Amino acid sequence: MSEAPVLFDIDLNVPLQEFDLELEYSGSPKSLGVFGVSGSGKTTFLECLAGLKKFDDGRIVFDGEVWLESAKGKRTKPMYRNIGYVPQDYLLFPKRDVRSNLESGKKRLLENGLEFEEVFGNAIETLELQSLLDRRVELLSGGERQRVALGRALCSGPSLLLLDEPLASLDSGLRRKILSYLVKVRDVFEIPMVVVSHNPIELQALCGEILVISEGKLIAAGPPNRVFTDAGVFELAKEGGFENVFNGRVLEHSGKTDIVCLESDKEETCIRLPATGIGIGDKALCSIASDDLMLSLQEPVGLSARNCLRGRIVSISDSGSRILSRLSVGEGGPEMIVELTQDAVDDLKLAVGSEVYAIFKTNSVRILV
Amino acid sequence: MESIYETVIRTIGWAGLSVVVIFVPGIAVAYLLSRKDFPGKHVVSALVTLPLVLPPTAVGYLLLTVFAERGLLGPETLGFDFSILLTWKAVVVACSVMAFPIFVRTAKLAFGEVDPRLEDMGKTLGMSAWRVFFSVSLPLASRGLVAAALLGFARSMGEFGATVIIAGNIPGKTQTLASAIFTAQQRGDDASATALLWVALLVGFAIVYTTEWLSMRQSREGGRRK
Repeated sequence: MSEAPVLFDIDLNVPLQEFDLELEYSGSPKSLGVFGVSGSGKTTFLECLAGLKKFDDGRIVFDGEVWLESAKGKRTKPMYRNIGYVPQDYLLFPKRDVRSNLESGKKRLLENGLEFEEVFGNAIETLELQSLLDRRVELLSGGERQRVALGRALCSGPSLLLLDEPLASLDSGLRRKILSYLVKVRDVFEIPMVVVSHNPIELQALCGEILVISEGKLIAAGPPNRVFTDAGVFELAKEGGFENVFNGRVLEHSGKTDIVCLESDKEETCIRLPATGIGIGDKALCSIASDDLMLSLQEPVGLSARNCLRGRIVSISDSGSRILSRLSVGEGGPEMIVELTQDAVDDLKLAVGSEVYAIFKTNSVRILV
Repeated sequence: MESIYETVIRTIGWAGLSVVVIFVPGIAVAYLLSRKDFPGKHVVSALVTLPLVLPPTAVGYLLLTVFAERGLLGPETLGFDFSILLTWKAVVVACSVMAFPIFVRTAKLAFGEVDPRLEDMGKTLGMSAWRVFFSVSLPLASRGLVAAALLGFARSMGEFGATVIIAGNIPGKTQTLASAIFTAQQRGDDASATALLWVALLVGFAIVYTTEWLSMRQSREGGRRK
């Protein structure tokens, strides 16, 4: 029996003005995140995947389909790559209404054997675009434009979505809203996606695997909680620190707080957080900053903090300026990163295997989606 | 003698026809010069602009040699006669050649105002190059293209030098607004010359005003990032 091809098989060497983008990656994540600071080559990487960047040296294979093989002089044009590209500035077609924008990739969708009405209806429902359909795109707000750009990409029947900084140009209120749409798009349409962002939290919320690019070079790759605690990467992302992002389901509404059970293969772990407004049994994506967590060697009593999780330290690493301790909650439950000082590690004699209690306040838990 | 009214109507007709003749090739050349890189691009660009800087009479003389008996497009070379010289067709040819540079330059600017990334966007949505052109580039450049057509029309309306060389100045047959002013002035008919001048001024102002307005709208709506 033949094995399914890897989703992404990429080997790029793209000369840029200040450095070369050199990246080699092979893997099959359903959603791949690309992290890096501004000007590190992230957008160029996306443009290479889209076929919009012309260069002479490289190889791109997506799902067994060769898009670029410079050694053989093969280069698939962007129109034949079957991608849905959502650039940072949306690039909606001006002088048209939303419906016309959404229909601009209809021909390809039909050629792909899909039912346009079905996909169109699905996109409108998922992204709540019904009331915008007859509006000219010039009259849309930033968040609405983002949703339309996403809808336009989805309505072209793509086999890969490319999202360039999908939340960067939105204010913080809108970010949460659009992030929830992105999560819905990922879960409803199940189209593989590559998300480029300089925000680790967005990538943790959306992606199963992260590539980190710095000055055109791939410096780390792997699952988000491993990559973003890597010493080199943590420094790049230090502005926001590290956020523990968890998928969960709302178990109970309890006054002004909710109880959410975190998704885990082995052990159910529940945390208390401010009322989410999410229905019981529905999915919730929440986060806790690693520097909002504290550790105790004994189970604390008489504390006002409502969350106290027993766990075991599985690693301690020095990120340069801070110590990051990885904690496995319960018996093989979800992992958490706790930021500590060297003094705390020394005084508490923390080491791999130490049994500890992670403590955090209800209000330290943020609901992302 | 032919009335001023007939001269004006006939000139407007010929100018309109010239714009029709140059519209499609003009757009094609403008788009190529604006968007594509190809060997000899600068040569093509210079050739297209040449009629703008040459004396119109020189262009007329060149056309005369091209359509002459043994010219490049003459009856002896082609085996059949276009019967152009000294006819209304010669007026249209002269006007088209003289209006072509200004049409192409304005249309090129119009395409230049369209953000090429919007065209890239179209490609990523599966559009063919032709479809990107017709459904993205052309609609977004439309105001600028209308401005190009109007400027081409205005140039044709005012064309004199090349026209008199290959079409002559035959009242009721090949006489245009410009050559009618010249004739009236030469024979001392100030009243006719003044009336024709006013028509030229009004038509010219209306066209230039409209193109200015369209150009401003084009810049705002072209979609190019500032």
